[in-house]
Amino acid sequence: MIVETSLFGQIEVDDRLAIRFPAGILGFPKLTEYVLIQPEEESYFYWLHATEDPSLAFIVTDPSYFVPTYRVPLRSEQMQDLALASLEEAQVFVIVNKRDDVLTGNLQGPLVINVATRTGTQLVLSDRRYTTRVPLIELRRPVEALTA
Amino acid sequence: MLVLSRQRDESIMIGDQIEITVVDIRSDKVRLGISAPRAVQVHRKEVFDSIRFENEEASRVQIEDLQEADDHLRRLFPRLERGSARQSI
Repeated sequence: MIVETSLFGQIEVDDRLAIRFPAGILGFPKLTEYVLIQPEEESYFYWLHATEDPSLAFIVTDPSYFVPTYRVPLRSEQMQDLALASLEEAQVFVIVNKRDDVLTGNLQGPLVINVATRTGTQLVLSDRRYTTRVPLIELRRPVEALTA
Repeated sequence: MLVLSRQRDESIMIGDQIEITVVDIRSDKVRLGISAPRAVQVHRKEVFDSIRFENEEASRVQIEDLQEADDHLRRLFPRLERGSARQSI
């Protein structure tokens, strides 16, 4: 499929790599199809780009790179809705935001994707341990991943 | 907005599949029970709003930011694995 993007121009993506979010992503309910673009191999970040809106893309990352203890609690109905037999079949991403020089991850609203069916959803966690702005990395400083 | 008065144990129907019941009333707090089909997400409004707001802001992050962060991380943590981007002092 051809995806129009304002960042990369027109890109060609195998149809089978599209990811469907039947309920969309919160705030963008009408856009249900995305593709994952990894800028380079071994990139820590991906673009999750809407296929039907050239200007909509989110930076996402695997939160386990930064917060290895992070676990998304999935209720059995949620697992059923995503056709997940086990958590191992799911890929969890978080949407990344930037505030001043800090990149933050929304660990309160993770994206959970069934890798086999390529269907995903954005969960809202009621656990207040994680916020929508968990610091992941501070730019400019010689390095710190901020989460201990 | 439709405003209705309900006493303890009384309910409201929204459509024919969503029911909200006043479970308890205290001076400063109302406990509500919600019965809805699984496909309908039910959340405290402020949590929902904060995730939506965060998504909207995040959708405007620029590519240079991504590049910079990625270069930064890969220089210092060349191997992608769990916890690989954590700092150890």
